[in-house]
Amino acid sequence: MRMTVLLLVLLVMNSGTDTQSAEIDFARDIRPLLSDACYNCHGPDAKAREGDLRLDDRKAARNSNVLTSGEMLQRLTSNDPDVRMPPPDSSRVLRPTDRDKLVQWLKAGAAWPEDDRHWAFVPPRRSTIPEVQQREWLRNGVDPFVLSRLERAGRSPSPEADSVALLRRVTFDLTGLPPTLDELDTFLADSSPNAYESAVDRLLNSPNYGEHMALDWMEASRYADTDGYQNDRLRYMWVWRDWLIRSLNDNKSFDRFVIEQMAGDLLPDRNFHTQVATGFNRNHRINSEGGSIPDEWIVEYVADRVETMGTMFLGLTMTCSRCHDHKYDPIEQKDFYRLFAFFNNIAEAGLGPNNGNSPPFIKVPKNWPYLSAGEAKFVVPEPPRIKIQQVSVPRPQSGGADTVMVLHELQKPRNTYLLQRGQYDRPEKSELLRPATPPVLGAWNKSWPRNRLGLARWLMSPKHPLTARVTINRIWQHHFGMGLVKTSENFGVQGDLPSHPALLDWLATEFIRSGWNVKAMHRLIVTSATYRQSSIAPPATHESDVENRLLGRGPRKRLSPYEIRDASLRSAGLLVGRMGGPSVKPYMPPGIWRSISNASYKQDKGDKLYRRSLYTYWRRTVPPPSMMIFNAAARETCIVRTDQTTTPLQALTLMNNVAFVEAARMLAARMMKQEGSLSPRSRVAWGFRLVTSREPNAGELDLLLSDLAAYQQEFRRQPKSAGTLLAVGEMAFDPTLNTIDLAAYALVANTILNLDESITQN
Amino acid sequence: MDTLNEIRAQQTRRAFLGRSTLGLGAIALGSLAHADERPRNAIGGLTGLPHFAPKAKRVIYLFQSGGPAQMDLFDYKPHLAERFGEEVPKSVYPDERKTTMTSGQKSFPVAPSTMKFSRHGQSGIWLSEPQRHLAEVIDDVCVIKSMHTEAINHDPAATLFQTGSVIAGRPSMGSWVGYGLGSENANLPAFVALTSNGTAKAGQPLYDRLWGAGFLPGRFQGVKFRGQGDPILDLYNPAGVTREQRRRMLDSLSRLNNRQADRFNDPAIATRIAQYELAFRMQMSVPELIEVQNESKSVLDMYGPQATRVGTYAYNCLLARRLAERGVRFIQLYHRGWDAHGNTPKQISSQCRDTDQPTAALLRDLKQRGMLDDTLVVWGGEFGRTIYCQGKLTNKIYGRDHHPNCFSYWMAGGGVRGGMTYGETDDYSVNVAENPVHVHDLQATIMHQLGVDHERLTYRYQGRDYRLTDVHGKVVKDILI
Repeated sequence: MRMTVLLLVLLVMNSGTDTQSAEIDFARDIRPLLSDACYNCHGPDAKAREGDLRLDDRKAARNSNVLTSGEMLQRLTSNDPDVRMPPPDSSRVLRPTDRDKLVQWLKAGAAWPEDDRHWAFVPPRRSTIPEVQQREWLRNGVDPFVLSRLERAGRSPSPEADSVALLRRVTFDLTGLPPTLDELDTFLADSSPNAYESAVDRLLNSPNYGEHMALDWMEASRYADTDGYQNDRLRYMWVWRDWLIRSLNDNKSFDRFVIEQMAGDLLPDRNFHTQVATGFNRNHRINSEGGSIPDEWIVEYVADRVETMGTMFLGLTMTCSRCHDHKYDPIEQKDFYRLFAFFNNIAEAGLGPNNGNSPPFIKVPKNWPYLSAGEAKFVVPEPPRIKIQQVSVPRPQSGGADTVMVLHELQKPRNTYLLQRGQYDRPEKSELLRPATPPVLGAWNKSWPRNRLGLARWLMSPKHPLTARVTINRIWQHHFGMGLVKTSENFGVQGDLPSHPALLDWLATEFIRSGWNVKAMHRLIVTSATYRQSSIAPPATHESDVENRLLGRGPRKRLSPYEIRDASLRSAGLLVGRMGGPSVKPYMPPGIWRSISNASYKQDKGDKLYRRSLYTYWRRTVPPPSMMIFNAAARETCIVRTDQTTTPLQALTLMNNVAFVEAARMLAARMMKQEGSLSPRSRVAWGFRLVTSREPNAGELDLLLSDLAAYQQEFRRQPKSAGTLLAVGEMAFDPTLNTIDLAAYALVANTILNLDESITQN
Repeated sequence: MDTLNEIRAQQTRRAFLGRSTLGLGAIALGSLAHADERPRNAIGGLTGLPHFAPKAKRVIYLFQSGGPAQMDLFDYKPHLAERFGEEVPKSVYPDERKTTMTSGQKSFPVAPSTMKFSRHGQSGIWLSEPQRHLAEVIDDVCVIKSMHTEAINHDPAATLFQTGSVIAGRPSMGSWVGYGLGSENANLPAFVALTSNGTAKAGQPLYDRLWGAGFLPGRFQGVKFRGQGDPILDLYNPAGVTREQRRRMLDSLSRLNNRQADRFNDPAIATRIAQYELAFRMQMSVPELIEVQNESKSVLDMYGPQATRVGTYAYNCLLARRLAERGVRFIQLYHRGWDAHGNTPKQISSQCRDTDQPTAALLRDLKQRGMLDDTLVVWGGEFGRTIYCQGKLTNKIYGRDHHPNCFSYWMAGGGVRGGMTYGETDDYSVNVAENPVHVHDLQATIMHQLGVDHERLTYRYQGRDYRLTDVHGKVVKDILI
């Protein structure tokens, strides 16, 4: 009895589950331990297996008798280094509490249910809504799951965030921008019960929604403006990026959205737009280094597509299976190459051109995206024309600035074989591999064609165990800074368990039930009581739940690099709202490309300096430093989760970077020109509110005003310095303003823009 | 050299000295939002590290980008002169290891080095003529002639050397070191990257990923010092703004941020305040660091005429020593221009003119200061070059293509035996004949000298424990003291 209680405590503490159970659940409690500690040598990888023992397969494990004979027990409890498992000299570590758990499981009879599938491989079932006590707190279907978990932990949710924090939070989350003062005032004045929901609907309908949501997808799809290897030649893919923004703004259903990107060239109703969508699978890097072996690189491109699909839709690390059977998940090496076969039929070149698009590409009509009926038709790309350059460098004819890369099938597909150790020159030619999906991830419907279109239909099948879960988890991550499954890139056996499994499944089924309605899912999450909580929490709460896994407070997260820049441009009145078009080249440090490559950066002028950050030119080998400093994904491979470390370089950027200094002095000018705001106090208060969305209190204002006075005094003594500061950046300052005052206000604005609060969603 | 216990005791003592002495990594640790972080000691290293008493406290890696030609520098093959113009036998050089830049050539004639070689130092190590400064310190150097790699193109080959994998997205060696061992200096990053161009003006491009943190937390990425503009990106206050004004601004910022911290109780805010203070200190420490003109004339002379010219290799070597003195743990230099496809002898000579003197000066300078014993200096590029001629062969001019099967590296100081050569190549300098050293072996050895077991410094990513050396790497024990 005592043991059961202990176990219950352990489970509640460690597994972070929202289903009530004191029983040891094999899939939830035992297999993750076996996987981590044992599968390296006793797992799915036949080549690495020791002692002919496998502990990942129910039948094999039970037949081996180690579970019941006492051998495994002895191995776990012995202190003899020759007997003890995992071997003390191996890098496998089994924590004492986990070891105890395994021992308890063995002693209790080593129950191993017949259906022992890893949780994520079992299709989600609609969860029953749990009973809760504090029913008045609930706002929608999300909340009972969260509340029931909190109540079991003996905790209550936090009160609702104040209106200002709430509008700021949701405005950033849905559009990547801070609320304007008008939007704030309207919201604060709206006393109707649906004020918040109306604001959410307004934001979901804003074109800025599509721009903002595109960024997560661009990072995951490794979208960039260059090829990414060696000389890192330029390419033209912005047409795909604009397709993405439009599709998000049109709220294209997620299944259609994915199918078009995976197989828009194969759809029965294919057209020019669906063809552009397939650029998704051309965003991978392309090597154009002279001397490269084309066959080797085609393999890399195809493998990248499999890996990207694995991470984005399956939440699985397919990379492992490229060289050997997966160490943890039941994905064999052959499974990898069967998926590979779906993508191995593209009429592409192994070596990229020297600048420009690599085939297949299609010509984009001048008035894109507004196409006539004739222009909107599907186009057959020209077959690649290979030219031999230098001695024997076979390069394709490149597509120019008026083209976009797409997928197009070869007349005759390439043969696909298993590649030993993943190497292009070591095919296992004894067996030709046909396109197929891993059996463990659900059945194939015979009506689907055995090509990318069929693959896309398989991914988006309502019975698929992963796609809906993985996607809704990333949507959750977008709003809360962390997914319900923290390892949003890995739902496999080695991934983290969901903090709220029933909620995850409820959301996944809800997503499918809604007709894969993405905006509806965002709306559901941001209108929940869970999301609307204040992020203010007493120290004890913070300490007991550092990562907010119980969701007992609202999300508090630093803005993304894109949001940080866009918000400061917006506050400065500089942001240019124009949507789409070729990428732009804003300020960069001197010699940014020249110092380490053979290309030089030619900075744009005028409006192009102030476009939203998603349009910033992305050179893969030298990505924009002020974005990377704030943890942007590097866009070399598929990344769905980035960390948020804090470094002094971030401070230097916000204090001194030309873009942020220019923003500060332009914000200062706006402060000075406010109609009716004649006193310094009201001017500073206006600027503070513009940036942080809230009114400063008296103490804060006093501090900033005393700084202002000091700066004015200093600049009066050094009037030249004022002029120098006001010359930072290309936007001329307003000559009707007093330069001493303007410089002093600029430093106050610089302070405000550097506040933790200015770059954070509370 | 400190013993392991002393090192650990030091780390604990520092814990009592408070925040101001903490390194970059340690302060960033204040951001507790990431609970998957492992426990760290007072200087921001992982507890339990180093795994054993280190021989080297720091590494200076002089990466020679483009692929220096081993047979024109270290791998002396006198008898090949007789085989001038003969075909390299297929049995020695199979076609599939040739790049497509030359694989279409009809002929693969032997191009013997035109460099004059002689023996140097007490050890009598063979060196080609353009390396006359290195020759003077060669008894401190261990030349490895048996390096080999798989990659034959620059990008994957350089990425493999710097990150342990040809696949993008893995952490660089310096970021692994910072992640594992933390920082010895409160005011400078643990890992610094420096790049230079020489006479060639251009060369193989470098990529941010070479000093990137990959999947490690972003704060471990190398901080690149720039040859143009601010030495560290946005280090200086905007023109017209004084340090006193910046101090005032930071005081207010910190007070305003503290109000937020009191409200939200989020430790991330305290971290941000600390990072602004560190940034302010860096604004002092970095300009002091780069004032190389304050070095004595004899030191400047030793590094040669370009020692005070920002962005040159000589300047970067001198800066490397100054960084090493200040406790920066991993100093990664890149010098471009070794990709000698055309006139190889001329290009090698001019590369040596730019690099030989500063390289030797660095070794001598470290030694004079008693720092060579605990500073590991590594020299080498991403691969070697072919013995067969690329393009037209004359008795003065030849070109060489990329060659992965054998090439030369050297190491000095940091517990590596000086005055020795290790490994041998075959008669053609095409394949390793004896004691092969793979890229992963070199990495394992560098980590070993820092007191790190390369198999035990791992990071979990996508459910797998990754390490610098993937599943490979053996420490080259024979070259260690």
